[in-house]
Amino acid sequence: MRHQMINDTLYFYFHGDFDNLAVQNVKQLCIDLIHKHKPAVVKMDFEDVSFIDSTGIGFVLARYKQLNKMGARLVLCNLSRANQTLFHMSGVFQILSHERNGVKL
Amino acid sequence: MNEMKLSFLSKAENEPFARTALIAFLMPLNPNVEEIMELKTMIAEALTNAMIHGYEGREDGIVEVSVRYDAQAMVEIIVKDCGCGIADVALAMQPLYTSKAYLERSGMGMTIMSTFADEFHVESSAGNGCVVHLRKQLHGQCEHALQ
Repeated sequence: MRHQMINDTLYFYFHGDFDNLAVQNVKQLCIDLIHKHKPAVVKMDFEDVSFIDSTGIGFVLARYKQLNKMGARLVLCNLSRANQTLFHMSGVFQILSHERNGVKL
Repeated sequence: MNEMKLSFLSKAENEPFARTALIAFLMPLNPNVEEIMELKTMIAEALTNAMIHGYEGREDGIVEVSVRYDAQAMVEIIVKDCGCGIADVALAMQPLYTSKAYLERSGMGMTIMSTFADEFHVESSAGNGCVVHLRKQLHGQCEHALQ
């Protein structure tokens, strides 16, 4: 996972399979980066993510809750059609927005 | 008709291995992109459940997976663990219900399996492990796959 902070926005760029193993590997780092930078907005980029399962959804919802407590916002970026289907199923788009493009590293 | 069985330790790194192996086994059926995505996701959910819930994160449990398909491209997948089992299967099936919210689980695994499979059922009780049955009819990329 790569990340960058631009102005008040923290970007996370995920890649490959975003499954149980991948989430275990990036979870603490993401929590710590949010604590450190205290961003107003976090944008998670899924352009290079080929696969997501319910663990990935759980991770996204948990970061939403973490950010919500700080008064910060979470935006999902560049989800593939298949990955969007999965997020739709869990109703996350009722609380989160999805956008195309965004700032690239 | 073709059949395969896999048996492996409940280590997190074995989930992507088993998921990939199952998909590779099913490639002679020529599944389309959407079918591959649905199969991968439902297999991932069943395996992750066995590891996170069945064995509660312990890495010394055995997960058994069997997969078979017939000439009509009907795929049957069975995932078995000998872990702690599910006391209330109906409750576990509820969308967004999770017994492990502190582990940031979404509670969507069962819902995803039931959405992507044509048939889905779970046999389990407290202390007696869990067997997940999944069936899915594939239609493939081309006409001859249906014949």
